[in-house]
Amino acid sequence: MGIGYAALAIKAGLTPFETVSMSVLIYAGAGQIMIATMLAQGATLFNIVLTSFVLNFRYFVMNTCIYNKVDDASLSVRIPSSHLAVDEAFAMFMLMEESSIWTYIGLAGIAWLSWIFGAIIGVIVLNVLPIIVANSFNISLYALFVALLVPAVKESKELAILVVITAILNVVLQFFIGNWSLIIAILLGALIGMYTVDDDTVLGDAYKTGDDNCSNEEVQ
Amino acid sequence: MDITLLIILCALVTFIPRVIPAIFMERLNFSPKFEKFLNLIPYTALAALICPGVLTVDPDLWYIGLIGAVIAGGLAWKKVPLGAIVIITVIVLIAVYLMVPFLPVLI
Repeated sequence: MGIGYAALAIKAGLTPFETVSMSVLIYAGAGQIMIATMLAQGATLFNIVLTSFVLNFRYFVMNTCIYNKVDDASLSVRIPSSHLAVDEAFAMFMLMEESSIWTYIGLAGIAWLSWIFGAIIGVIVLNVLPIIVANSFNISLYALFVALLVPAVKESKELAILVVITAILNVVLQFFIGNWSLIIAILLGALIGMYTVDDDTVLGDAYKTGDDNCSNEEVQ
Repeated sequence: MDITLLIILCALVTFIPRVIPAIFMERLNFSPKFEKFLNLIPYTALAALICPGVLTVDPDLWYIGLIGAVIAGGLAWKKVPLGAIVIITVIVLIAVYLMVPFLPVLI
């Protein structure tokens, strides 16, 4: 996956060093891909930073859950480890019995390192790969996006409709507001979803809610 | 654009939301409505990232992205594991690229 991101970033005009730095410092799968895409489309710095903020704000919710679950973490461990939050590590840890911060750090740390490693491999091999292979890797990111969406969409018709509405919004808005359409479509889509999508669909397993946010007793 | 500045700013706006809950351990409660809004963002973000971006991955061959998306979608529907989906899609697309010179009708 890191390879696909690297392909996109290099194509957007980033240097190999910048490409890998983003994986180390920002560490947000979809967020980084969005940055590379927006750069390629010539979006402004402010626009890209704001869209990153919105797209990555979900880590706030995830870390709220994670640090409520862990029982053995001092501040000096919590602060650096908070950087490791991503969707996959979050989902796995919240579904585990284990509640030690070190289990989480092991799990999430490996995900972080492999994302960085992927980017390094990407910038190295892309120099020697034929263009069609590089292009195919490029599309692998979209394959990943689709593969992440399909299971959720399969479960819920409302969510499927919401996904289509958001996509249409994004396309239509591009004619009026250019690069701002991405962030506006994301927010408008989520806003519409608040009223159209079933609560159970979006507040499933790892996020079990109620008056008691994501407590681990509820997560098996 | 200053790429270094962009990376630093994006790293900050990503790290700050991550670190706040780690510092303030006491339970931060959102209204369920707001939480629902936040939980929906990854889905709407994926939707907006895919469409129309998937059609412009290769500016010379718009349908390449579409083929990739359809293959990945079909495999995901059949519950093929994520890694396998990505690998199969890449392999099929390389094959498609190799076939393109023989398919002038499509171009």
